[in-house]
Amino acid sequence: MTTQVKPPPAPVAPPAVTRETRKFTVAEYFRMAEAGILAARERVELIDGEVLIMPPMGHCHIGGVARYARVLISRAGNRYTVLIQSTVRLGARFAPEPDLALAKYREDDYYFAHAGPEDLLLVVEVADSSLEYDREVKARRYGQAGIPETWILNLPEDCLERFTEPGPEGYARRDILRRGDKVTPAALPDMELAVAELLPPAAAAAAE
Amino acid sequence: MTTQVKPPPAPVAPPAVTRETRKFTVAEYFRMAEAGILAARERVELIDGEVLIMPPMGPPHFWGIMSYTQVFRRFPVNWFCLMVQAPLQLDEGFAPEPDLALLKFREDNYWGVRPGPEDTLLVIEIADSSLEYDREVKARRYGQAGIPETWILNLPEDCLERFTEPGPEGYARRDILRRGDKVTPAALPDMELAVAELLPPAGE
Repeated sequence: MTTQVKPPPAPVAPPAVTRETRKFTVAEYFRMAEAGILAARERVELIDGEVLIMPPMGHCHIGGVARYARVLISRAGNRYTVLIQSTVRLGARFAPEPDLALAKYREDDYYFAHAGPEDLLLVVEVADSSLEYDREVKARRYGQAGIPETWILNLPEDCLERFTEPGPEGYARRDILRRGDKVTPAALPDMELAVAELLPPAAAAAAE
Repeated sequence: MTTQVKPPPAPVAPPAVTRETRKFTVAEYFRMAEAGILAARERVELIDGEVLIMPPMGPPHFWGIMSYTQVFRRFPVNWFCLMVQAPLQLDEGFAPEPDLALLKFREDNYWGVRPGPEDTLLVIEIADSSLEYDREVKARRYGQAGIPETWILNLPEDCLERFTEPGPEGYARRDILRRGDKVTPAALPDMELAVAELLPPAGE
């Protein structure tokens, strides 16, 4: 006998049953752009083989990026190349777009190839709502890729998190830097910066 | 003063913080194949804009495909085209590869065109470990795409699940068919099958 039963109810949340997504390599990811699958101005990055959408930037994020860009460019001179929200190639399945990266100087300014882990001296991420992700996923991956140093501008807590001692587990050391501290990137011993100039002005006014 | 603190511990499971993946359209998905990003023989399908890996087929699964292919072979060739593990183009983000699909008959066997929902009479999925996914995700999406009928060969429970009455929420009706029952696809009224011949011999 045929038994008529109700179809399972429409899942409200995505179903608990999921399947593995196909992960992409950096080469495949770049080919998506060449083939026009990803638009030239599309805000995405490849993390752990997944093409992730970068959330729209809030003004705090934009301000943070602009500030670091100004500070880093003014100090970098012709000794370093400052990459601003540019795709870098850090592993087989890892092609993120850090907010800023200080790369070894190259005369071609990386015209001919994406910067790789061996080129990068310092990576900076400006984090507001993305803080947890930047810390737990991105900073960790930067450490695993062997980038000597990563800074996260922690906007919610008004401080600079400095990650150093990269290794296979990520960075072994994290320092919290606040107004009044000074910071010198390990790879750039002559670049001493006041943390206050790396934190947003509004918080400074509030703190005074 | 600088405060040194321990970095957060390495996450054991993937971190709770996740971000939205870029979803792909069917057109982009097929372009990935053309551009060689997806290999020709790669077992993947596009579901809800995500490129999903199809798990390797176990013996029950390919038994189903062989056996059903044989069952449908006895009907006149001009009743339908039988498609075996090939992609359908069902909507914007949905290009699945059902185990079998009975398509409207076309003498050219769909040369140069991708069959869509309007071409599809019946979709069949062979489900062993994939049962829940086939039922909750795929059958539902087939119904939403307007495929008139979907069958799931439910191997764990030795029955055939028949989904009909497609609509925006999926199928409104599901029948469980067992040995001894007969079944006729709504779109092929002259095709009568014994459910027993659609279930594996081991269950007898």
